[in-house]
Order: sequence, then structure tokens, then C-alpha cells
Amino acid sequence: MAELLSGLREAAGPFLFDYTIQPALKIALVMAVVLGLIAYLTLAERKILGFLQVRTGPNRVGPWGVLQPIADVAKLLVKEDSIPDRAVRWAFVLAPCLVVGPALVIFAVVPFGPSSATTGGANWFITDVNVGLLFVIAMATISVYGIILGGWSSNSKFSLLGGLRSAAQMISYEVPQGFSLVVPLLMAGTMSLNGIVMSQLEQGRWFAFGFFPFGFLAFFVYFVAGVAESNRNPFDLPEAESELVAGFHTEYSGMRFALFFLGEYANMIVVSAIGVTLFLGGWSRPFPNVEVLSFLDLGFLPVGLAGLVWFTLKLVVFLFTFIWFRGTFPRYRFDQLMDLGWKWLIPTSLIAVVGTGLAKILFG
Amino acid sequence: MTSTKRFLDRIMLLDLFAGLGITFKYIFKKKVTVQYPEERMEPSHRFRGMFRLDEDRCIKCTLCARDCPIDIIYIDWHQEVNPETEKKEKLLDRFDIDLQRCMFCGLCEEACPTNPKSIWLTTKTYELASYERWENLYIDMAELQEWKVRPEYTDREIEK
Repeated sequence: MAELLSGLREAAGPFLFDYTIQPALKIALVMAVVLGLIAYLTLAERKILGFLQVRTGPNRVGPWGVLQPIADVAKLLVKEDSIPDRAVRWAFVLAPCLVVGPALVIFAVVPFGPSSATTGGANWFITDVNVGLLFVIAMATISVYGIILGGWSSNSKFSLLGGLRSAAQMISYEVPQGFSLVVPLLMAGTMSLNGIVMSQLEQGRWFAFGFFPFGFLAFFVYFVAGVAESNRNPFDLPEAESELVAGFHTEYSGMRFALFFLGEYANMIVVSAIGVTLFLGGWSRPFPNVEVLSFLDLGFLPVGLAGLVWFTLKLVVFLFTFIWFRGTFPRYRFDQLMDLGWKWLIPTSLIAVVGTGLAKILFG
Repeated sequence: MTSTKRFLDRIMLLDLFAGLGITFKYIFKKKVTVQYPEERMEPSHRFRGMFRLDEDRCIKCTLCARDCPIDIIYIDWHQEVNPETEKKEKLLDRFDIDLQRCMFCGLCEEACPTNPKSIWLTTKTYELASYERWENLYIDMAELQEWKVRPEYTDREIEK
């Protein structure tokens, strides 16, 4: 594999290879893995929800229901794709793409493993932008436009209500999420996601445990706001099955609905991946400062792969928590949602930001 | 004191974490799912399922047909001299039940004067669905006595 790549590099010339072929290969790989992960996340969600409710979950398609996602995708692909008569066509078509696209674009800056400085070989991420965190915030915000646009353009009262709720939810939850993202920024002193992971390694602590309790508060606020951001229970007001039929995607069918669905799950993975990177040390092992636990570095694996293993493990814990929340909490009422966002999360995140700043000046 | 505790609970979201703990325990509980076509639940002894008729016990009084609230039991009989015993006996010509409208109220079984009942519904048979309206839903005498798809445990009920 490595020989093949180096041969390709010689054939195409280093410039062409480094700036087009290698990123293209990485993008293809990451997209394939992420889409597969999304497909099987739906199965995992149905299984875990089933277990939480003392059921078995899907178990008819293939052993243990393993082929269920494939059957679902096949069904969604062949379903009729209908557009309501008086819908605004361009917006109706654009909306699902606006939800999925940005969510997938964010994976470009997520460090799945260490950089070439650590591995001595390839970078275990697609690219390392020096304002990576800003890029993540910008992209994560766009998906909400897709939801609002989809809700407005389908010319249905349920969709419109779902879209409006999504707008209100975005306004309340982007703010604390933004504040909470400032905390790891302050601690690391860089916006590059790879740099943030590296500085967690250098400082020998995950930022969720940095400047206790401020790091933890920020982590908590980030996670709650992230759940709200990806429209998951208990903040699934834009969908609100029991009130709004299906909320913003009531009028969508077939593959366009599948795109919305894909976007929701991609958002889950994005929120988890960014949370892992910023607060839980990214690809580093637990307790990077404790020498005794160095066997957790998985020395028998290549450095990059060991990092990927830890990253995946943390990601899985995050995703499980998302599903766990869905199986536990009922949906917030709209005023409770606003109450939580404005009266609790924003003050908490402000305290975390100010506290971190002070602590950095005094002890850092 | 309690108000402080409540405030702390609210801030640290203790009740939410307690809820998460409870749902987590349920992951490992034994599943209650019955894999229907492969596994079946046995109905209770009082469950009113498909009819059965025992012609030998039946005294042809037609009380069941008369008590049926929607008149779906059709009984014809005639008298005949039995050549062996030289006694007059009633013989059934027809004992049909039109299951399409039957609501399985069990009033026919209640009305039956014989002991044990000669028509009864506690056969524990509930898989009566059919693809066509006219299929399998008009049950005649022969079918009532030897119902073809009845499960094995029906015969145990007869002895009771």
C-alpha cells in the first residue's frame, strides 16, 4: 500500500500528488467510512432503543438485523420522490443538500489520528486549517438554514412550524455552544483542531478536566447544545413527531427525506467528533500524563492506527449517549427549551469562559 | 434544607442522571419480545377462540341458534327411528356458523344445556385470518367437529 502510494507520487509528481490525488483518496475513504457509519448508526439506534424498551429491535433482515440499513436504503432509493404542488421548488430541492453537505464537509478538518510530525508518515486527517474551529462553527450553522428553508418551502403548516422552531432553537443554542468552544480555544491558544489535540497532549490533560470545573462546565454545555444542534431528543422540537407529524420534513419523501435523515446522523457524528477532539483529547489515550498507563498507547499498533482506535472508541461512547438520551428523556416543551438555553446554559458557559480566562492568567 | 437540596438537584441535574441510570439497567433485562411466527403465546383457559361442536353430545335443542344475538348459527334436524334401539332420535342435517359476522361473544356456549357443553369456544385457536372474505369463514358441521388447522392442545380441552 505504502509502496503503491509512493510510486503514484513519483509518477504524478509531488505537487500534483500532495495537493490533488492524496486529498482525493483521503476524502473518498473518509466519506465511505462516514456514510457506512451513518447507515449502521441507524441500526444501532433502533437496536439500543429496543434494548432500552425491553424489545429486541430489528432482527429479521439478516442475522441480528445486520442487513437492515441496506434494506432501508434500497427502500428509500426506489420510493417515489414527490414535490408538493405549491412548494417553492428550488428551495425545496436545495434544503436537504444544505443539511447534509456542511455536516460532511466538517470531516475535512477533524483529526482522526496524529499528524505526520508524530507518525513520521501520513497525516491522519484530510487537512489542518489554522482556523479549523471557526470553520467548524461556520459549517455547523449552515445546516440550520437547510431546515428552515425546507420547512418554509414545502408550503405546509407543520413544516413551517418545524422550521420556525428550528430557527428559535438555533438562536438559543448557538450562543452557549459558541461560548463553550471558546474554552478549549483559550486553553490551547490555537484554533487548529490538530493543534488543540497536540496541546492537550503537551499539557497532559483532556480539556474537559482542565481548570476544573470550568473545562467540565464547557464540555457539558457543549454537549447539551450539541444535542440541541443536531435536533435530537430531548430537543427534537423541529421534528416533534407527536405534535408536528414530522416537522420540517413532513412533505419530503424518498431520497430527499433520506438526505435529511443522513444530515441528522452526520450532525450527530460531527458533534461527537468535535466534542472528542476539543474536550476528550481527540486521538490521545486516556490520562496522557500518567506514565503507568502507557500500555494504553497500544504500542503493538502503528501510532496512527492506535490514535484512530482511541478516537473511534470515544466517538462510539458519544454516539451511544445520544441514543441513550433519546431512550430516556421526553421532549422539552418550547418554553422549557428557551428557559434551559437562556437561563442556564448561557450563564454557565459565560462562567466557564470567564473562569478559564482568569485561571489561565492566574495559574496558567 | 429541602429547598437547597432541590436547588442543588436542579443545578447538577441529579434527577436526569437517575433517569439515565434506570434506562441503562433496562438494556440488560430479558427481552419480552415473542417472535410470533416461530414462537406463539398460549392464550388463557378462558380465551374464546374458534368453535368446536360435538355432535354426539348435542341434543339438537337449537338453543344456541336462538341465543345468538346476530343469528349466524343455522341448524336443521330431522327425526328418525334408530334401527338398532328402535327409538326415535334427532339427527342433524346442518350445523353451520357464518363466521364473517361472529363476534365470539360465547352466548351460544352459555345457552347450551348439555353438560359438558356440546358447543364451546375455548379451543385457544386465534389464527383465523384469511385473505378472502369468503374463504374459511363459513364453517359447516364437519369442519366444526374436526377443524383442520386447530392446534394440538385443543384435544386436551375436550377431555375437560
